[in-house]
Amino acid sequence: MLDVRAITKRYWTKGGPLVALDGVSLSLVRGEFLAIVGPSGCGKSTLLMGIAGLDAPSAGEVRVAGRLVAGAVTDVGIVFQRDVLLDWRNALDNVLLQVEMRRLRREDYLGRARHLMQMVKLAGFEDRYPFELSGGMRQRVAICRALIHDPPLLLMDEPFGALDALTREQMIVELHRIWQDTGKSVVFVTHDIREAVFLADRVLVMTPRPGRIAATVTVDLPRPRNLAMREGDGFSRCVGRIREIFEQYGVLEKA
Amino acid sequence: MDSGQVAEALPAAVETPGPRRSRSLYPALLVVCSLTGWEAGVAFFRIPPYLLPPPSRLLLKIVAEWQRILLHSWMTLQVVLVGFLLGAVFSIVLAASLLRFRGLADALYPLLVSSQTIPKVAIAPLLVVWFGFGPTPKVLVAFLVCFFPIVIDTLTGLKSVPQEVIWLARSMGARGWDTLLKIRIPAALPNIFAGLKVASTLAVVGAVVGEFVGSDRGLGYLLIQANGTMDVQLDFSVLIVLSLMGVLLFAALELLERACLPWHISQRVAHGESRR
Repeated sequence: MLDVRAITKRYWTKGGPLVALDGVSLSLVRGEFLAIVGPSGCGKSTLLMGIAGLDAPSAGEVRVAGRLVAGAVTDVGIVFQRDVLLDWRNALDNVLLQVEMRRLRREDYLGRARHLMQMVKLAGFEDRYPFELSGGMRQRVAICRALIHDPPLLLMDEPFGALDALTREQMIVELHRIWQDTGKSVVFVTHDIREAVFLADRVLVMTPRPGRIAATVTVDLPRPRNLAMREGDGFSRCVGRIREIFEQYGVLEKA
Repeated sequence: MDSGQVAEALPAAVETPGPRRSRSLYPALLVVCSLTGWEAGVAFFRIPPYLLPPPSRLLLKIVAEWQRILLHSWMTLQVVLVGFLLGAVFSIVLAASLLRFRGLADALYPLLVSSQTIPKVAIAPLLVVWFGFGPTPKVLVAFLVCFFPIVIDTLTGLKSVPQEVIWLARSMGARGWDTLLKIRIPAALPNIFAGLKVASTLAVVGAVVGEFVGSDRGLGYLLIQANGTMDVQLDFSVLIVLSLMGVLLFAALELLERACLPWHISQRVAHGESRR
């Protein structure tokens, strides 16, 4: 599904060149949920934008579904950390923006949009404007928008980072459910280790700048997952391994 | 709706009707007080009417000459509206072009800014020489005077769209046109309205300036006449009518803004309050 080979991203600042990503490689199998976890500034968002074709890397190549990425990838659904809804459109119209921008017929997707909103438990809120919705609700609208055109790949950049802890818990359960129901391939960027382990099949651990993949941790917990598993041994072991890696790189202090 | 939704559901935030009523009371009160003070002051200090006519005299004058004043007001209003609309359309198109073509922006920007420092009073006679004594030079002066704030404000608004939104549009495969029409321009509307409101008052000034030079109609012409015959009362009356015209135009734009931007924070939150 996704093949990233040795991508490097360099920025030129007043102080000289800044290497955000240094030879990062990864691959994703169809239907897999891949989490990328790392501290702030490690380049994980840059990596995601490179995969999306929105922020071209300085070196290396990205292939999505076998095709080389040379510009913005359109067969993808993106969810950013900020919900980026259009303030002048109501929730339903925001979801349908995806359809309109692709010059598709709105009527054909109306039913699907409503169904998606129902799936994320926003039925009845279709005509509400973003300012009338809470952060969690807005992000759910953004998720519907990313799903309506049925892309095979979902890119999520710390989608729950701006939400409070309680809402975040609700959202990761919902996201897990959506992924189980739709079978999409997902690249999920987060700074929250427990979130990554709960959701993912594999977790890539990134080092601080310059960003590199320090290790890959496979999460072999059974599916479907539930919040109770977070208290279990398997979960703790995975989280522990990731923490160890971060301690090695000085991201976390030894407990 | 499940419990999660009930917990998150928020009431739609709108301004309550109460405060709005008292808000229009304040300016009305101020106007009444000013007029009363003016009337009283003129009487008390025995100011001769040829220096400063009291409001009562002006009212009588306006009523007496209402046909003449109305006729010329209508002439000026037409000039104002055409000049303003021309300015609005031209400016928005120009701003969108400056955004799209960076080279054009670099070339044109200094020219645009420097054009604003040239007093239009000086250009107006030139325009009469070029375009004759008809409405054209007046409309052009109104246009030249009012278009600049619209361009600047529109450009600011168009440029102020967050990077993620543009990235989102690109990932949706959006063409340039769609991004402009469906994302940038609606996002820029609050700024565009700000520019339009400022421009509306400038358009009135521009129209009058245009009428100063070579005109036989309009409120500007009436002002020249009044000055020529030392008819101070007519002078003041015309000034009052001009202010009223500007205020009405501005108010009309504010109404339009309220209709177009109910979602924007400037329309939702009353001064000093903090709601979402």
